[in-house]
Amino acid sequence: MSGENIVEVGLKPPLFKAPIYTLREVLQNKFLIRNLVVREIRGKYRNALLGYTWTFIEPALLAIVYYFLFYMLAGNPDELYAMWVLIGIIIWGCFGRSLQASVSSLTRNKNTIHLVYFPRIVFPMTAVMGNIVTTLMSCVVVFPIMMIFNLPLTIYALLIPASVFLAGFLATGIGVMLAPLNCIYRDIEHLIRFIVRAGFFVSPVMWTYEMALERGMFGEAAVYNPMLTPITLARHGLEGHATTLPSSVIGLCIGFGILTWLIGSYVFEKYERRAVKYL
Amino acid sequence: MKPTVIAMENVTLHFPKLSSLLSMVTGVFKKKDNKFTALRAVTLEVKAGEVFGLIGKNGSGKSTILRVMSGIYPPDEGSCYVTGKVSLLAGLGTGFSQHQTGVENAMLYGSILGHNESEMTEKLPEILEFSELGDFIHEPIRTYSAGMKARLGLAVASAIKPDILLIDEVLGVGDPQFKEKSKTRILNLVEQTGTVVIVSHSFGLMKDICDRVGVVHKGKLVMVAHTRVKR
Repeated sequence: MSGENIVEVGLKPPLFKAPIYTLREVLQNKFLIRNLVVREIRGKYRNALLGYTWTFIEPALLAIVYYFLFYMLAGNPDELYAMWVLIGIIIWGCFGRSLQASVSSLTRNKNTIHLVYFPRIVFPMTAVMGNIVTTLMSCVVVFPIMMIFNLPLTIYALLIPASVFLAGFLATGIGVMLAPLNCIYRDIEHLIRFIVRAGFFVSPVMWTYEMALERGMFGEAAVYNPMLTPITLARHGLEGHATTLPSSVIGLCIGFGILTWLIGSYVFEKYERRAVKYL
Repeated sequence: MKPTVIAMENVTLHFPKLSSLLSMVTGVFKKKDNKFTALRAVTLEVKAGEVFGLIGKNGSGKSTILRVMSGIYPPDEGSCYVTGKVSLLAGLGTGFSQHQTGVENAMLYGSILGHNESEMTEKLPEILEFSELGDFIHEPIRTYSAGMKARLGLAVASAIKPDILLIDEVLGVGDPQFKEKSKTRILNLVEQTGTVVIVSHSFGLMKDICDRVGVVHKGKLVMVAHTRVKR
């Protein structure tokens, strides 16, 4: 053998560097990721008369349903309750769909995986980014709502897109961790679907952080749910004031996200090659 | 002596077989093989500038050898070294999106094949011209016939300029006229690229273009021979 750029096929950098070099691979493939994200979004809203408007019609309709449900169960909710539920559904939906899409990203793209090679971290990342983009589009719905409720549009409204990214980020680590496992046992996909449904009630979608605090013990426990932070941040942003969340809770959430990313990217790089053989 | 650009040494590749919960329980009692060996100790060297053909029955492992070279399945045992950028042409139009136009799909497929944005923008006019799609290029792909899709796929795939080209049965798409054109295009590509590994069932073609041909049978490379007697 001669030449300088001899490469051993399938050789990877040391695994402990996985959290960093996977990110570099994502940056190197940004043209590919952008095209794949567009493909995903186009595919989702194809042949729909209302097209992209479904991104916000759906959460709006759900919010109305939950408003009446809450009205029947608890009676006389706060006038802002419908809005809290709406933003809760949007942010939780971003997390839930990102998680489901990233977990099943390798299995859904098995035809591509069989025929071309590029860093496979692209698949779960595309799944998450696609959902972040659609969620950001659905966030447009908050502007008319802020007008209806006479809420001031302040700089804190930026908390809404920030919490969308945070929700997507929380889903990335877990999704990346479970995607290779899902190639071997599709049970993971079904389990995640259940967890996303159950998590809807455990997370502050139909209830709020403030409601939980009034319940004492319950409020203390709720703080340990990483999804509490993005949902509550978005609500505070919508109300137009700085968040009242203690920084320890926000720190816990971001720490959870970073930890799952470190573990997730390591697991992904370690098992991805073995896992795709099951596809 | 030309340098070796692909070196496979004793490459063995297994595919796991998935067992259900029930057979896992019964599997405790009876010992059985739970993997399928696709490649058995394949050793192969391809020199720079060489066109290497692989022939064999369906399922013998020809395509798997190409996939090992391209990095889709790294070897379980042994090693595979390559020098330069490798590109695998297989299954034209992988990842096409039915709801996007021809141009968008050309960009998408190009990026899947590993091109960056500037390369694709530069090559797009040539791709569109070669695909002969005319105004259809701005229509969604779902309105295309199978042949039109294949033409677009080939146009994008053959616009690449890798150091090593791996071709897996992508010849012979479209109507006879385009088939001839695509054959010429691939042959040109083969000529320009230099190092090519090609899998095909078309014996005549292999005889014409390959310097050496290897026969793969049941995951083993059983024979390698020159197609022409050296003069």
